[in-house]
Amino acid sequence: MTPRDEAQGGARPGLARSGGLSHWLVRHAARRSPAALAQRLEEEWLADLAAQADAPSRLRFALGCCWAMRIIARDYLASAARASDHATEHGAIVLGQHGPSSYFQRTTILFLILCLHVFVIYGFVTGLAQKVIQAIPGPMRTTILDQPRAREMPPPPITSFLPTPPRIFSLVAPTAQFPPDALKDSFIPQPLPQPGGSALPPTRSTQVIRIVGGPGRGFPDPDDYYPLDSRRLGETGVATVRVCVDDTGRLASAPMIAHSSGSARLDVAALKLAMAGSGHYRSTTEDGKPVSYCYPYRIRFQLKQ
Amino acid sequence: MGKEEQPVRMSLQTLRVLEAFLENPTDELAGADVQKRGGLASGTLYPILLRLESAGWFVSRWEAVDPSSVGRPRRRLYRLTATGLRRASEIFATFGRGVLV
Repeated sequence: MTPRDEAQGGARPGLARSGGLSHWLVRHAARRSPAALAQRLEEEWLADLAAQADAPSRLRFALGCCWAMRIIARDYLASAARASDHATEHGAIVLGQHGPSSYFQRTTILFLILCLHVFVIYGFVTGLAQKVIQAIPGPMRTTILDQPRAREMPPPPITSFLPTPPRIFSLVAPTAQFPPDALKDSFIPQPLPQPGGSALPPTRSTQVIRIVGGPGRGFPDPDDYYPLDSRRLGETGVATVRVCVDDTGRLASAPMIAHSSGSARLDVAALKLAMAGSGHYRSTTEDGKPVSYCYPYRIRFQLKQ
Repeated sequence: MGKEEQPVRMSLQTLRVLEAFLENPTDELAGADVQKRGGLASGTLYPILLRLESAGWFVSRWEAVDPSSVGRPRRRLYRLTATGLRRASEIFATFGRGVLV
């Protein structure tokens, strides 16, 4: 009868008394012990388990055996390095035997440690660590930059280029209000002087009352066309746009820059605004009748305070 | 026995095990007996017993009973060796306790 048979045979009564969990734990712990001790520990622990008074004690004992298995296995591996001729009778403790798996594990661990050291040294030598540090983004910094000063450009002498005083859009008020009054051009043909010194009284005078049109109701808000770059750079200026508007308030031709604001961005914005306003111009009237007419008007791009 | 003494790490739990055997050094005790005398948990007791046995302080044998007749498995019985008794006595003498042998 082998020790295992004896253990199993002897364990049956204890198993019947104490239930399965404690026995299962004890058997599990014993069988996971070093092979040289597994049979002995299983039988010994089962015998001592049977000596426990009650079920909680048996369960505590079984859990302790699980813990003991781990310590015994550790001790066994530690003492395996020491040669020993100690042998007892049945269940002799056999120490000092190296398994091939033990050598493999130690070699593997040693190799991994060696590779780790080589990698670290390689990193320091080649500056790999510095690259890694540089790759890691540092904390975000906020630097307050001085705003570029707006170019101080004197407003162009628009009046010198225009025969009639044009109207001005202002961005100060987003809802651009245009002066309701229109310019009234009137001309009265003078009678030619008669030779002989006597002038005939005018028999008939021809007078055409012209009211020049301009941006009317529903005209786009100039603020919407102020370029963002110009806002950021503080660009301001006055662009003079010449438009030809038909009798229905629509553009008859493409608008043109009559006088530049000094900024290409503002000039383009002024043209876009003029184009977008097609259909919202007030037509020029002559004697109350809408006619097609070309006229300039000014658009001021000015930053709000 | 012709066996070299191996160093034994002495802890409070080891002292309790030795103390349990030194109450009557000629007694053979099973693990369950030592557990009751020393108040040790099984997770602590059995590694100590194996260490002391491996160091030559204890010898052990199976209980000479028939499991089927007694209705329980055989117990493993431990006993102090002469070396173990001497070394345990020295240790307890160091701690100021006399041991009658």
